[in-house]
Amino acid sequence: MTRPLLVACIASVFLSFAASAQSKHTLSGYIKDAKDGEVLIGATVLIKELNAGATANVYGFYSITIPSGSYTILYSFIGYEKIERTVSLAGDQRIDIELKESTRELKEVIVSSEKDPLTKVQNTEMSVAELDIKTIKKIPAFLGEVDIIRAIQSLPGISTVGEGASGYNSRGGNVGQNLILLDEAPVYNSSHMLGFFSVFNPDAVLDVKLHKGAIPAQYGGRLSSILDVRMKEGNNKKFETTGGIGTIFSRLAFEGPILKNKGSFIVAARRSYIDILARPFVKALKDGGALNFYDLTAKANYNFSTRDRIYLSGYFGRDNFLFSKDQGFSWGNQTATMRWNHLFNQKLFSNITGVYSEYSYKLEFGNDDANKFKWNSAIHNYILKPNLTYFINSNNELSFGGEGIYYYFIPANTIGTTNGIQRDVSLAKKYNLETSLYVNNIQRLSSVVSLDYGIRFSQFRSFGPDTVYHYNDTVPGIRRTVKSFTAHKSGQASTPFGSWQPRFSAKVQLSEVSSIKASYNRMVQYLHLISNTTASNPLDIWTPTSQNILPEIGDQYTLGYFRTLGKEHEWEASVESYWRATQNQIDYINGADLLVNKFLEGDLLSGKGRAYGLEFYLHKKTGRLNGWISYTLAKTELQVNGINNNNWYPTRYDQRHNLKVAAFYEINKRWSCSANFVFMSGTPATFPTSRYTDGGYVVPYNANDSRGNVRLPSYHRLDISVRLEGKPSTSKIVRKNHDYWIFSIYNVYARQNPFSIYFSQGDQRVPPGQQAQTQAKQVSIIGSLVPSVSYNFNF
Amino acid sequence: MKKNIQTSFISLTVLGFLFFSCEKTIYPNLENAQPILVVNAWLNNKPEKQSIQLTVTQPYFDASTPTGVSGASVTVMDDFDSVFTFVEDGTNSGTYQWTPASGKSFGAVGRKYSLTVTVNGEIFTSSAEMKRTTSIDSITFSIIPTFVYPENTYIADFWANDPKGTGDTYWIKAYKNGVFLNKPSEINVAYDASTSSGADVDDVTFVPPIREWINPVDKDPNNSNQNLPPYVSGDSVYVEIHSISLAAFQHLQQIVEETDRPGGFGQLFAKPINNVSTNVFNTNPGGSKVVGFFNVSAVKGLGKKFDK
Repeated sequence: MTRPLLVACIASVFLSFAASAQSKHTLSGYIKDAKDGEVLIGATVLIKELNAGATANVYGFYSITIPSGSYTILYSFIGYEKIERTVSLAGDQRIDIELKESTRELKEVIVSSEKDPLTKVQNTEMSVAELDIKTIKKIPAFLGEVDIIRAIQSLPGISTVGEGASGYNSRGGNVGQNLILLDEAPVYNSSHMLGFFSVFNPDAVLDVKLHKGAIPAQYGGRLSSILDVRMKEGNNKKFETTGGIGTIFSRLAFEGPILKNKGSFIVAARRSYIDILARPFVKALKDGGALNFYDLTAKANYNFSTRDRIYLSGYFGRDNFLFSKDQGFSWGNQTATMRWNHLFNQKLFSNITGVYSEYSYKLEFGNDDANKFKWNSAIHNYILKPNLTYFINSNNELSFGGEGIYYYFIPANTIGTTNGIQRDVSLAKKYNLETSLYVNNIQRLSSVVSLDYGIRFSQFRSFGPDTVYHYNDTVPGIRRTVKSFTAHKSGQASTPFGSWQPRFSAKVQLSEVSSIKASYNRMVQYLHLISNTTASNPLDIWTPTSQNILPEIGDQYTLGYFRTLGKEHEWEASVESYWRATQNQIDYINGADLLVNKFLEGDLLSGKGRAYGLEFYLHKKTGRLNGWISYTLAKTELQVNGINNNNWYPTRYDQRHNLKVAAFYEINKRWSCSANFVFMSGTPATFPTSRYTDGGYVVPYNANDSRGNVRLPSYHRLDISVRLEGKPSTSKIVRKNHDYWIFSIYNVYARQNPFSIYFSQGDQRVPPGQQAQTQAKQVSIIGSLVPSVSYNFNF
Repeated sequence: MKKNIQTSFISLTVLGFLFFSCEKTIYPNLENAQPILVVNAWLNNKPEKQSIQLTVTQPYFDASTPTGVSGASVTVMDDFDSVFTFVEDGTNSGTYQWTPASGKSFGAVGRKYSLTVTVNGEIFTSSAEMKRTTSIDSITFSIIPTFVYPENTYIADFWANDPKGTGDTYWIKAYKNGVFLNKPSEINVAYDASTSSGADVDDVTFVPPIREWINPVDKDPNNSNQNLPPYVSGDSVYVEIHSISLAAFQHLQQIVEETDRPGGFGQLFAKPINNVSTNVFNTNPGGSKVVGFFNVSAVKGLGKKFDK
């Protein structure tokens, strides 16, 4: 979208605002869960007479401006009983609503025949995947540990290179192109134990929303997707303890009100406990070694007035792998978020967020003090993010605001002591500022056409002291050498990189049950994850844009068809296609040295990418048997001079077919079961053709110098789980607590899914004068079925 | 340093998941490829016969002796225009040799050398400089507690200083009881006193991983989580420091990357495979392809017998 067009759109908003200056009033308030006071994000408000509606935002707030009159208002949220209110609106009115979870009796499957006004078919949002925590908890999990990142991998367009790999790939983007937000704080490493478990404690999570396209202007900074994880606010009705004992983690969460109806809090902690069990048997653990991971999540909110609410939330997680008291590795994220919601009036909602986020790792090795190696690395963020939402009228919702992120990078603080002499080989720290301004409007042009459009402008600059290296030109396959360098003084700012990022999506309502949506958006990414391995690992660093690494730019176009099916609209179906072209994609020169290398930028290559695909999604939302089928047909490629003879080549995570089926079935009041099936076509691999001896070593050689010339066998897996609810209260015994068991089997038919195939000469020493035997090996990360059991409680 | 950090990092995390991951040998069909010329020319200033092997590439799973390229002309010239002609050894194996006069050796530190190989009318060239090396002061054996070895295992260290001035690159070769430690995982290269060209660790004793990378890595056949003690009483160790060019340093780093592939769980962090670079070029850029390497090293060595 060009700028004049945008100006015209914004003008039209204000015109429609001016034109509507007749007697109108605003109905607003919060929609919450009656049981614990948690906000119901996305709950809907329908004014029956006008067939107009509104949706609760992430703080549970809704606002709708309509002419004065008498109305029937329907509040609804999936899985909750609807509430109908008759309101005679003669002035602005605030109605806070609490919805009750529907208690479904067996056989009587209640789905209201009322049509939800703002379902996926009817709003302008597209390329969004949403999972509520209740659904996530039902998906059979690896080792029984509920995992948000793995759960979203069961949705269309989302894939992974395999078990143990951290993060996810969204529509052909790499792991570093996803912005993962926990209460608006960026989380740079989303995994514990490499990639086996995600850092989010399910007991503290309220809602997960993934934008993989048509990303609203309020978000920016990554090319592929935004994963917005919102934490629970804590029960504001009564004190509650939740916990569980799983195969890997033990969990405990405590929540409750802070002064009645004034606020609430939640504190949730998890810790792996295998090391505690193993301690008596493993000497290294007794001698101060450690092998554990834990996280602590906490949040509190307080209502200072009916117009002001403050939220504080924080996360602290760490993985420790120490093989003696002072040798080993540790890494983790820390975040702190402070938010202030302020209602200027019934129509103008504001929120200011301040965030501190940090990811760091530390390594220490050494036999004694005279021979030691210490290494630590970190990325610190300070973020300020004001956002205002102006509910202009029932046809326009305008959001605008800004974001400032100050980055402080410690690429590597490394001190080596050899034979008593110390050498500080630390890399220079880096200081950067990313500033953005945005405006976005959701506009209903008619009952048929709605638009969601906006623009984001961002700038990125660096500050001294720093040294900018100028490299000689790239010779394919050869590491670049330094030609000259420029030193900048402390505080000296560089020329900023700037970008306009238009966002646009439109919906055309074909009928009450079907619609077509299309979108275009441009995303710009100034931080680059430097990772040359199959799966990203905790030692990977993030590096900022500079003269040598230009901002990554992605343009995505989507087109989709959405409809609901079934008598009661219990089925939701969609087909979406996407095309994404990217610039300044990073790949690596042969032999690139990515860690503790001050000439890192000389080892990077830059090229372009393209990704396209078709996603099918069929979701049955209610009933005793529910679940979804998701199928994605996709392709993702890169073209980088110096790799694959300068031809396009598939990315390591390119998967042609990706099929996921998740099904949940309620057998009776106490027993329920779920199943999860995955089929993915094989990812690319590079196989050698020949071998030769060089310097005494047998070296593999690919005569065509190609990348990704072979496909691994396809991957498929079935997981099942059974949930047994604890005995319910009877007339004789009243149980205060609620508990349940989950028994699950991961990889039921024990398929040895290939993760990779590698070529080597094996571990055997080759006797002098003989030739090495070369071989190929296929690796399965999980090569067997994995049973698990967990016990969960709540009181 | 980084390599072994990653290795131990992986071996640690493997602990918990060892029993889930599995690995099997497979026999995939590989694309057919035309054989191309391989030039294996690693020369040094030891007082002995110098050899250059000319062979051709062979299918990856073919473990037979490489086919030699006979009838080539192989010469090395220095920057004082002295010509060293390498003569085929008569077995048609593709081995070309130059023998120094008694008590003498090949080349001198600071000299630049160019290699010319003529095969079937095509001319392949390369060049290299013999850089300075450094001498080893001593070799010691000490007990270092680590979970990789059984308790009370002795580890060998060599003690040598990298001379002042950045940009010295070395290939440290170790021999146990006269046998070269030739596993890809035992390749030990240094940039100044450390492992990385991007970190200036200059004018000090070689850092511990380099110092200790002269110990053979052999898994205990009875305990896959542990290695056999590298040296026991009576064993001898001999260490050589070969000076190498910067290109050779990067070339050997690439060989490590392409040949020392992490197995099992370590595949999570495997890098994509790439062809190892070469510094031998066909004078006709459109002519036949060539792989291999030319380097001229100055060598200093020291040995010690382990006597507990």
